[in-house]
Amino acid sequence: MNIAVLLKQVPDTTAKITISNGKVDENNVSKWSMSPYDEYALESGLQLKEVTGGSLIAITCGPERTKKMLTDAAAVGADKLIHISEDKVLDSTQVQKLLAATVEKSGAEVVLCGKQAADTNSGSTGPGVAEILNAVCVSMVSEVSINENNFISTRPSNSGAEKVSSNGISVFTFDKGISELRRPNVRGIMMAKKKTIETIKPEEIGLEIENSDRITLQSQNSPPEKEPGQIFEGVENIPEIVSKLRNEANVI
Amino acid sequence: MKFTVIAETNEDLLHPTVYQLIGAISKIGAETTVICPNGKGSSEASKIKGVEKVISVNGDCFHLFDGSAWSTAINSVCEGTIVISASPNGREIGAMIAAKRDIPIIQDVTAISAGIEVTRPIYSGKATETLLINGDSVITLRPNAFENAELGNEAPISIVDQTSDLKISIIEAIGKASERLDVTEAEIIISGGRGMGSIDNFSHLESMADTLGAAVGASRAVVDEWGMPHRMQVGQTGKTVSPSLYIAVGISGAIQHLAGMRSSKYILAINKDPDAPIFTVADYGIVASWEDALPILKSELMKL
Amino acid sequence: MGYEALDFYEVDSLLSDEERMVRDMVRDWVDKEVIPNIENACREGVFPDEWRAALGEMGVLGAPLKGYDCPGLSYTAYGVICRELERGDSGLRSFASVQGSLAMYPIWDFGSEEQKNHYLPKMTSGEWIGCFGLTEPDYGSNPGDMITRAEEMDDHYLLNGAKMWITNGTIADLAVVWAKLNGVIRGFIVEKNDPGFSAPEMKGKHSLKASVTSELVFQDCKIPKDRILPGVKGLRGPFSCLNNARFGISWGAVGAAQSCFHSAKDYAMSRIQFDHPIASYQLVQNKLAWMLREITKAQLLAYHLGKMKDVGEWIPEHISLAKMNNVDVALEIARVARDIHGANGILDEYPVMRHMANLESVKTYEGTHDIHNLILGRHITGIQSFTREI
Ligand SMILES: Cc1cc2nc3c(=O)[nH]c(=O)nc-3n(C[C@H](O)[C@H](O)[C@H](O)COP(=O)(O)OP(=O)(O)OC[C@H]3O[C@@H](n4cnc5c(N)ncnc54)[C@H](O)[C@@H]3O)c2cc1C
Ligand SMILES: Cc1cc2nc3c(=O)[nH]c(=O)nc-3n(C[C@H](O)[C@H](O)[C@H](O)COP(=O)(O)OP(=O)(O)OC[C@H]3O[C@@H](n4cnc5c(N)ncnc54)[C@H](O)[C@@H]3O)c2cc1C
Repeated sequence: MNIAVLLKQVPDTTAKITISNGKVDENNVSKWSMSPYDEYALESGLQLKEVTGGSLIAITCGPERTKKMLTDAAAVGADKLIHISEDKVLDSTQVQKLLAATVEKSGAEVVLCGKQAADTNSGSTGPGVAEILNAVCVSMVSEVSINENNFISTRPSNSGAEKVSSNGISVFTFDKGISELRRPNVRGIMMAKKKTIETIKPEEIGLEIENSDRITLQSQNSPPEKEPGQIFEGVENIPEIVSKLRNEANVI
Repeated sequence: MKFTVIAETNEDLLHPTVYQLIGAISKIGAETTVICPNGKGSSEASKIKGVEKVISVNGDCFHLFDGSAWSTAINSVCEGTIVISASPNGREIGAMIAAKRDIPIIQDVTAISAGIEVTRPIYSGKATETLLINGDSVITLRPNAFENAELGNEAPISIVDQTSDLKISIIEAIGKASERLDVTEAEIIISGGRGMGSIDNFSHLESMADTLGAAVGASRAVVDEWGMPHRMQVGQTGKTVSPSLYIAVGISGAIQHLAGMRSSKYILAINKDPDAPIFTVADYGIVASWEDALPILKSELMKL
Repeated sequence: MGYEALDFYEVDSLLSDEERMVRDMVRDWVDKEVIPNIENACREGVFPDEWRAALGEMGVLGAPLKGYDCPGLSYTAYGVICRELERGDSGLRSFASVQGSLAMYPIWDFGSEEQKNHYLPKMTSGEWIGCFGLTEPDYGSNPGDMITRAEEMDDHYLLNGAKMWITNGTIADLAVVWAKLNGVIRGFIVEKNDPGFSAPEMKGKHSLKASVTSELVFQDCKIPKDRILPGVKGLRGPFSCLNNARFGISWGAVGAAQSCFHSAKDYAMSRIQFDHPIASYQLVQNKLAWMLREITKAQLLAYHLGKMKDVGEWIPEHISLAKMNNVDVALEIARVARDIHGANGILDEYPVMRHMANLESVKTYEGTHDIHNLILGRHITGIQSFTREI
């Protein structure tokens, strides 16, 4: 079975984000990494491949720098690397179309990705790609296995978790998985270096992509400064504090 | 400009966030259609100010969550700008409807103004961005970031029968794992220090953690002296954490402790000593003994 | 928090993609598995077996060797590996240096085809641990006068003598032992169960506590005839091993220094005395700036030496200079970092005192600091001053 894993390169979660002239300064990002949930998708894809055979196709859409992440994926076992190269400003639906068309072309029967990427934190990609492919979509899964012709995945439910069965082309978006992520090794790294990255232009998969004018970025900013701390004597203000934590801070 | 809100429910009631979605739309001077999947909460929705009409979409597919089937059924009655809660299910349905309609989606919006202009956090809150939307779109709103709409309306309710084939089935329900969250993973951490008096008193923190879905952490003093497991230790020689909310109870706030938790988004400290250094990093401080403060805090939290 | 290595001149930007991937792999592993466990390992005085397994799985043992399942990386990559390991602990790097440069390398360079096929795959995978026996109780800097002897018998060699200060000795499956056969230094492979061979551990070290150091004792130790390394005679044998290990040390020392700098900087920024962070005082800034300066120079030195090794244009004196300089500055940086930490600096909560104590060994082994001075002195003047008539 061919397995597609959709990967996104994002600023490492430990990297500082700086703003200059109303935009996040990407040149100032000290380290780019594979988005954390995507790592679980990749790990799970590798495990599926070990059971079913076939090849694991790592797909990304983004600037040149993202190729490094594909090579990282190859170092742990990705067989085919596809880079969708498009310099235009894309909105989420355009990206999904490119990814979906690439998945289709690759002949993959199952698509794994992270539940959301650590930059936009959106979580639109998996469901959107599933929709375009007319595929099954199960979100926030922690594991996927295959039983005869069915995929069995585990996702959260109100009462804890539930096992979901699906068949046919399926998209799974990953939360933190239950498996330890595998480490690369030197052999994998040396093989990865030799692996070619296939570059796909939108035209080659029959898509005309225009600069999106449906969304205009007005500005990017640093988060608002927190207010200075407020210290209250005694317990009278606890209700007020709880309501602030909920309504202003939004943390409970 | 037309708006459609897709309502999520909690058992048979509207999820509280629905009031916020409608409130946000009212704030920019618009009314909205509310779609209630399987009719749940429709009469409640019709009473909310700012609702133009309610459509209850009835179908078999709503018995279990399958984003694909739900979005297919719901999409048939959506119009204009579609607004949903940025809950996991909301995000999924939203993304699918956006793909079906070939319109953009903006997730996790925390502010909205006419135009439509929206703001959302990016890079896990390390920055925000403001976007101008041209034409129809799907927008998911972050829960609790908007004011509730009020009751006081009598909007018409119509019923549409519209189902779609489920593509998945549930084969097994698994109970909640009783294992407590690890401090490095939790969104909320409640830590106790030597001020808790004894290890037995940690049960108060644990029960509050259960209410909040939080992890329990500890200061080094407690780990070293009372034998709490080291994996719970927060600080320079323990775990470095950055949850959305860190609650420090009976912890003085030694520099080595602060090193592990000062990057938390919000810090709430409870300490009976007004000069405890923990208050220098706290967003909210309660100068009181935990014996007095915890019961009230817990009952306030239970009210939510 | 992710570790951001001090790299002021972005020397790592000169690495190849492959070298950077290897760096990230090892760095990640050190962060996740070594740093959280190192103090425990030191306290218990053990080299954790999981580390041996992980080094084998990552495929970094014998990094620059080619063939026989060995990694076949560049010398620069080998240096990078040593640096990342020693950022964790010099004992960990010692393990890898001994396995790769001192035990695998002589078999790879001077062994028979059968020896290479037999030993190297299992050593690069970490399954078999090797050690290197050169130093003796009475012959350290002057190994040429060693006492350990081999006698050729009908169907075996007979070894007699003792080696001391042997890293990995007690946990090793095999030892590459240098001994005199008819007055000429030769290399022999001794296996742990060979009759007459024992390797008791030396206890009580204040340094390299997570590394095993042992004596090797040979009492009429019998080894089969096919265990002599056929390809080398004389001191050239052990010295060519040492060249590779010393090269790795010149990189490793940078890692230890980076770790000390990192800790000192963080501490100075958060420690408040006289109302301000101590990092705001000029004396402290002077120390940090000096560390930055020396680490940057050491990095450039190591990097350039790596390139020279990779193209094969180097002389042993180049390596002497780098080993001597980089360990010297790393040790001084560790001491200054310890000072910046105040009393906290003596605790095992911070890495600085551990690095400091470790580096004392590193300064001594693989040619003491002053022996390298003498090597350079001889190079400059053409006059050897190791010994003279008294
Ligand atoms: C190298 C090093 C590393 C260290 N690493 C860590 C680390 O990783 N993590 C860590 O936590 N510490 C660490 N420490 C220890 C640290 O310095 C402090 O000793 C420790 O954090 C103190 O724990 P505490 O706040 O629980 O106790 P205390 O400092 O004793 O504080 C107890 C607090 O409880 C308050 N209190 C008492 N009774 C009540 C009551 N009934 N209700 C409310 N408040 C009450 C008191 O006012 C006081 O502020 C480290 C120290 C060193 C030297
Ligand atoms: C932790 C540890 C691990 C080791 N691992 C190994 C191993 O795996 N295998 C192995 O074979 N050896 C190993 N060694 C031994 C190491 O290589 C020797 O300790 C080193 O060569 C120095 O020898 P020595 O200790 O006998 O010191 P000495 O040679 O006695 O030197 C003592 C001092 O005298 C100085 N000195 C000596 N000669 C001169 C001179 N001519 N002029 C001026 N000064 C001089 C030295 O610089 C030094 O300062 C290890 C040592 C340590 C501490």
